[in-house]
Amino acid sequence: MKYIFNFPDIGEGLEEGTIVEWLVKKGQKVESGDLLVTMETDKVVAEIPSPKTGTISALFGKAGETINVGDALVEIEIEGVAGEDAVKEVEKGSDMEAVEEEGAGVVGTLEIAGSSAILSGSAEGMSTSGSTEETVKKKVRATPVSRAMAKDMGIDINDVKGTGPAGRVTKDDILNFSKSRTKHPTSSTQTAPTETQNHVDVEPLTQIRKTIAKNMIQSKHNAAHMSIFDDVEIGELDRVRKQYKDRYAAEGVKLTYLAFIIKAVTYALKKHKSLNSEMDTENDNMLYKRYYNIGLAVDTDKGLVVPVIRNADKLSIKEIASQIQSLSEKARDGKLTMEDFKDGTFTITSYGSIGGKYAVPVINYPQAGILGVGRISKQPVVKNDALDIGLVLPLSLTVDHRIVDGGEVSRFLNTIMGYLADPVTLVME
Amino acid sequence: MKFDVIIIGSGPAGYVAAIRAGQVGLKTAIIEKGKIGGMCLNWGCIPSKALIESAKLFRRISKDASKFGIDGIDKKSITFNYSKAVKRADTIVTRLTSGVEFLLKKNGVEIIKGEAKITSKNTVTVENRSLEADNIIIATGANSPKPEKSIDVLVDVNDLFTDREIPEHIVVAGHDAVAVELAQLFETMGKKVTLVSPSDNLIPLADPYLFEYLKKTFKKEKIEIIYNTSLSDLVKGYSNNKIEVNGESIKCEMLINASPRKAIIPAMDIDIDFDNDFIKTDEDCQTSVSKVYAVGDVNGKSRFAHIGSAQGMHVVNKIKGVKQKLDLKKYPINMYSIPEMAQIGYTEPELKERGDDYKVSEFPLSANGKAMTEGTNEGFVRILSDNKYGEVLGVQIVAPHATDMIAEASAYIQLESTIYDIAQTVHAHPTISEVFMEAGFEAVDKAIHK
Repeated sequence: MKYIFNFPDIGEGLEEGTIVEWLVKKGQKVESGDLLVTMETDKVVAEIPSPKTGTISALFGKAGETINVGDALVEIEIEGVAGEDAVKEVEKGSDMEAVEEEGAGVVGTLEIAGSSAILSGSAEGMSTSGSTEETVKKKVRATPVSRAMAKDMGIDINDVKGTGPAGRVTKDDILNFSKSRTKHPTSSTQTAPTETQNHVDVEPLTQIRKTIAKNMIQSKHNAAHMSIFDDVEIGELDRVRKQYKDRYAAEGVKLTYLAFIIKAVTYALKKHKSLNSEMDTENDNMLYKRYYNIGLAVDTDKGLVVPVIRNADKLSIKEIASQIQSLSEKARDGKLTMEDFKDGTFTITSYGSIGGKYAVPVINYPQAGILGVGRISKQPVVKNDALDIGLVLPLSLTVDHRIVDGGEVSRFLNTIMGYLADPVTLVME
Repeated sequence: MKFDVIIIGSGPAGYVAAIRAGQVGLKTAIIEKGKIGGMCLNWGCIPSKALIESAKLFRRISKDASKFGIDGIDKKSITFNYSKAVKRADTIVTRLTSGVEFLLKKNGVEIIKGEAKITSKNTVTVENRSLEADNIIIATGANSPKPEKSIDVLVDVNDLFTDREIPEHIVVAGHDAVAVELAQLFETMGKKVTLVSPSDNLIPLADPYLFEYLKKTFKKEKIEIIYNTSLSDLVKGYSNNKIEVNGESIKCEMLINASPRKAIIPAMDIDIDFDNDFIKTDEDCQTSVSKVYAVGDVNGKSRFAHIGSAQGMHVVNKIKGVKQKLDLKKYPINMYSIPEMAQIGYTEPELKERGDDYKVSEFPLSANGKAMTEGTNEGFVRILSDNKYGEVLGVQIVAPHATDMIAEASAYIQLESTIYDIAQTVHAHPTISEVFMEAGFEAVDKAIHK
């Protein structure tokens, strides 16, 4: 049978992508999971894997062409599957939702768009006949117009109750569903006069916002958040940074405080392994990670993303600085790949560059901790029993109290502060 | 005697409701004062179609035989034997009505002959026999009212298909399918026909595009049309086989009363609401009295047998607790003109009034191979579709078998299909219905054979 694989929603609420490069050719055999194509969207460059094993029989579109989410991308000839099995095979495809990349950042869900393109209407009756019906997602009975409308209005037709013959979803069902959906947000403010309802702009959630919401709630639900705040005087670090800043700038590297902080954090993580860990409650195990991948929360106009600096412990401060630079640029230009989000072990959120002294950051679950970096400012400090002007960096640390005990949290923060107060130690380690 | 449902009238609305009620286990009685099958089977749809077929065959033999390669037919020696044609129609009618009677009995419906009177919302009497029922369905139909003054040339539609002389000059009073069909029937038999419409239209329910087409056809066939003139105007102006009306003089040896029909109201002691000349009903065909329903022509919602049947079924389903929606826009309407016409969904003026963003796609029969081989390639398929989703909103067909072809459009509309579905539905070749697919292509992009 021929299986048409549509350009999937790669989880950012984006509607289209541009083909960067085909990784397969017509006639080529592919295994399920083999990479088919590199697609560039507004925010990431993603390599799209094949959902099926078979032979590529057609590629739709050339490099540089823009493809809408849900449009045909490739056609895969799957050998030896025909008839009713073919329908099941296709339905399996449409069931392949939420392939979550383990440990990926907020943009971690990959939804495979429905492959209804080759499903004939007659398959509706067939889905009940198979013995595997429990595992096969049933195709919703719906009229062609209601399908087009649902797609157009961003409604999942599976959520709509059909009132037509045999429970078929009709145009009216979609319209009523849409009406009840838009009414919903205002129902919570029922006491407010209707006039204020006119001042509410209803915008559908983007995929990235949904993912952020899901991950935040998951974190708050599962982790026992506990926070600690402290200040560190970084006059010496400032002196070192100023001394080398211009020299590195000549090489195109922007030496930021953050590079030093990341280095300090990785060294501290090495000394306090519980902060670089994860609790596996299913198997009652602690997973202590012996790799140090530091996630950097980056603010973009579309929402929060957390690309990862991999093996930060093995990188020099200069190398870290250069990676911060390239990841931020990629995030801004929407060129981050799935690879950039994977496998973070600890996260740093540096909101101070925008504003704010302290914060209670939410852990990037299932990691054990997140460090918030506040605004650096000149403050009166006491040095050798005398009042002096110091450069003060406020730090906020949130940990999962299930994993890390209070004493260890303070010791971990002390270690970081020690490195930052005396940056030479960062080179001595 | 207590029934779950009593149905008054055994036309297509009543008898279908009765059979369905019997099927779903309701204790059912049907009361008929005349003949089982009502207007449709006995005097309307069925006999008229039989007569139209005779007339079409007559015309084909006299006009087309030699063109089709059949020699030896002397045009002067062939005549139309109306009595024989009526006899043929009678045979069909008898077969169908006895079939209906059999089905009623088979499904346990008690058939009660006689005139019904509704004495309360739960009781009906038929000639001194009192019957009780939880539900009453009125399905007594409609007919063209007789004018105040009667004249000898006036004939009711119910008396038309009998063994009688058909004179040369015929006037048909009325509009809509019945009047149009009768005018063409007698014209095809070789008579001189004048059609007198009480309005400025001949087919008020149809899209004006069909009306325009019909006018052209009538002009070709030399059927004279007079508008805005009622039956009583004609009766008033009649004397000695001549009607003087609107300053015109029309020869008239037979005046057929096909004027707009009014409900036939059964005798009743209950107080129900009316809407002009019809029994007022809600969207489920219930009257102003709870559990008393009115289906078919008597409620004035439509004048088509199949719509009456659909309403009858709907009411029985409602009694059984099945909730559905009656949507007149999903029912086809049809007319046995020559060529036939049929329509479903919205007309263009209706779409304009609704403010729909729509487009019109049309494909003519003149380019269709099968139509040419049959020698009747007049007509078209016309699709009105919504511009956003491509939904099929209305379909109009003029073709020799338009009334059969419309079934495809009914399915498209019932299933809320789009023009893409039409274009992708492969039609066998050579068939006239290919025109449908072509009109679908035309709507999506471009027709192949245009």
